[in-house]
Order: sequence, then C-alpha cells, then structure tokens
Amino acid sequence: MKFLLVCGLAGLLGLLGAGLVGIWPRPEFPDPDPVAKAWGVANAVAAVVLGVRLWDTIFEVLVYVVAMVGVRFFLLGMRWQGELPPVAETPLLRRSADLLLGPILVFALYLAASGHLGPGGGFPAGAILGSALLLLALAKGVERLSAELYEPRLERLEYVAVVFLLFLGAVVLVLGVRTAAAFVVANLLVAVEVAIGAWAVLHRFASARGEV
Amino acid sequence: MAAVLLCVLALALAVFALTRRRLLWGVIGVGAHSLVLAGLYLVLAAPDVALTEAAVGFGLVTFVYLLALRRTGKLVVAASPLYPLLYPEGEGIAGLEWEILTRFARWYHRDLELIWVPRAEIPRLLRSGEAHLGAGGFLPTPEDRLAYTKPLLPTRLVLVRLGEGPRGAVAGEPTGKHADPSGKLFEDAAELAHALARGEVGEAVTDLLRLREWTMQDLFSEAETQILPEEYGFALAVTPQDEELHRSLTEFLAELEKSGELTELLRRYLG
Repeated sequence: MKFLLVCGLAGLLGLLGAGLVGIWPRPEFPDPDPVAKAWGVANAVAAVVLGVRLWDTIFEVLVYVVAMVGVRFFLLGMRWQGELPPVAETPLLRRSADLLLGPILVFALYLAASGHLGPGGGFPAGAILGSALLLLALAKGVERLSAELYEPRLERLEYVAVVFLLFLGAVVLVLGVRTAAAFVVANLLVAVEVAIGAWAVLHRFASARGEV
Repeated sequence: MAAVLLCVLALALAVFALTRRRLLWGVIGVGAHSLVLAGLYLVLAAPDVALTEAAVGFGLVTFVYLLALRRTGKLVVAASPLYPLLYPEGEGIAGLEWEILTRFARWYHRDLELIWVPRAEIPRLLRSGEAHLGAGGFLPTPEDRLAYTKPLLPTRLVLVRLGEGPRGAVAGEPTGKHADPSGKLFEDAAELAHALARGEVGEAVTDLLRLREWTMQDLFSEAETQILPEEYGFALAVTPQDEELHRSLTEFLAELEKSGELTELLRRYLG
C-alpha cells in the first residue's frame, strides 16, 4: 500500500515536472478576445460559459438541481427525535451578521449583474448569497431562519429559476440571440439557483442530524 | 515569484490545518488556505476562478464547518464539585477528573465545557443530550439508565451520626435510598453538611471522599461514623445517545491505566 502511494506521488511529481519543463505538449487555446467580441461582452469567461459552451452550463445546472432533489428526497424521512438543546446566542455574532448581511447581498447581486463585464458571474454570486444565508443561520439557528424564509416557497422559486434558464438557453441557442441582457438574466438565474440549492441542502443535513 | 510564494504559503497553511489538535484552528487554517489559493489564481490571471474559490472555499465551506462545530465540537460536562476529584479553584477548575477530562478532550479533538449542576440533574441532562459527560464524584445508580466508564476510584457509603433527628442524603445519589422514607434530600453535599452541622438532620449518608472533605473543613467534631457494606466506585457517566464517545472514553482510560499515568494521577491527587 505504501509502495503504491509512493509510486503514485512520484508519478504525479514527474508529470508536473514534465509539464513545467515543456516536454509535455500543451493544448493550443484559441485567443479568447475574438470570442468575447463575437458575443458582445467584455469578459471572455462569460462568453465561454454562457455563450460558446452554454450547453455545458445548462447541463451543469441540471446536474446540480438533480443533486439537490436527491438530497431532499432521501433526507425527507430523517428528522431529529427528542428535545434539542437551545443554541447559545452571542451578541457579537448577531450584530456582525446584521451588519454584514446588507453589503454581502449587494456585492453578490453586483457580481451576478456584472458577470459579463468583468470577473464574477452566477456561480460565485450564488455561493456568496449561500454564505450570507449560512451566516444568518449561524447567528439565528437553522430552524428559525428556515421558518422566516418560508422555505417551500423558496424551493419553488429555485425550480422556476431552472425553467427560466432552460427557456433562456433555448432562446439563445435556437434563435441565435446574442445580447448582453441575456447574460445578465442568465447570471442572476444561476445565482438564485446556486444560493437556494446550497441553503436547502445545508438545512436538510443540519435538521436531519439535529438543530445547529 | 508571487505565485511560488503563494504556493509555499498555501502548503504551510494546509500543514497548519492538518496538525492542529483544536478543530476550530483547523477550520480557520482551511479557510486561510482557500483564501491564499484564491490569491494564487488571481496572480495566475484567473480572476473568475479566484472569485469562486474565495466564495466557496473561504465563505461557504468555512461556515458549514463552523455550523458543524457548534453541534459536535464541544464536549459538555455536567458535574457537581467534589474535592479533590473536580472542584473550582480560583477562576479555573482543577482536580483528578478534570485532568483526565482535559486530556481526553485533547485526544478526542473537542473543546471542554463544564456546567455545575446538582447531582440529581446530571442524568436528565445526559439523557436529553444537553451534556455529554457526567463527573464530579459520580456514583452510578441503576435508575439513571446511563452508560458508565470503569470505576476510577473505589469507595464506600458512610453513615455519619451526630445526634437525634432525621436522616439526610443527597438527591439522586445512591445514598438517597438509605435515607427513605422519613429522610430529607438535599441538592448537594455542601448543603447536606451544613444541615448536619446546624442540626437540621441528625444523620447523613455520604461517601468516604465527601466525609474526608467535611473532616478537612472541620464542620463538626465528634461524629460517629459507620461504613456501609456495599461497594461503590466513582466513575464518569456518558450520555446513552453517543456510543462512540463511550467507546472512545473507555479506550482512553484503558490506555491511561496501561501506561501507568492513571496510577500516577491517583497518587498525586489522593496521596
């Protein structure tokens, strides 16, 4: 076992060395700027993710949604039995969560809305929104936040976002529409999708094992 | 150059996170490692990936770990004080059991939290899962329905007679059944001792270690003592909800006994 591990490590280091000295052939990448120009956006990454490789992105989002649905389905019957210990509330956490929530939300929305112009886009924005929800959960307790957010409605919103994204994908791919507005909407939809999915899965795991 | 420096820093932080015994430091190390990785991606001209790494690795993952830590990262000990097993000393806590518990917590990668409660409260807290361990001269009784470790220290129950009056004992302890039915039950041993000294109760049932404590405090002079025949042992109580904790604690105590450290600790605290 140890021998295999050492062999594997040596192989990986050898590959890395070969790549660094240039023996390994490197793939030829096309110049990203013409791609960005062809799609009418400033950020080449956005042009690739939501333009040239839109099919990849759509299926990635669908895989994500299927994973969320799977977690929900299989954790449905698991609930914590018996009385749960109360969470000690610290004023520091409460206050910092209150103070940070606004700036985090604005930053996430900015990232999603400006993904076609600079670094950002739907996925990081969704992750940041999810972190904001987790920060609140840390300060308030998962169950309380879930009740305040009215979770079933939130989950329906997630599915609606997916449907809209598919519709948008059809418009861009079939009709060949290339506008910056499509990028903005797609990024916002992906952000909503990722944030709600992250929150829902965390809530399921947390409440299946007990209150946090 | 900056990329190489960031690589070294990332590696150092990964090692830092892996070698911490306290889970919280490990989580902080992982978060810092992600942040350095995000910086590395930025230097390598991949700002989109850097943003995602910072948001997921530093934000989301750290918060998930922190939430998990709130649930599992603490080891709550419910105890009542007993010198020299577990007692408050100045601002802190000391004693034989405390030393064992702190070593165990370090070995089990948990932070210790101690709450002082009356003896009768301990079984309820452990059964509901609000506390994980019960300590402080804990004498097991079958009614508690908890899991126990092997007795750390053997003891006997003692009947202390000072004068006429009802018999007193501490609620929840096995001493309680010697006090029934006309006896008085007290919240803790200190109250019982004061009641005995003031003459509210004529007799008290307690154990050898608490009698030693009372004698050292010089609460009363000429008491007549009678050692009861049953054999007991001070043990640590474990919540019945967590079998792994019980297994680990038993294993840890067995190791401590095998290496001779337990004997050394017993000698140091009890002479």
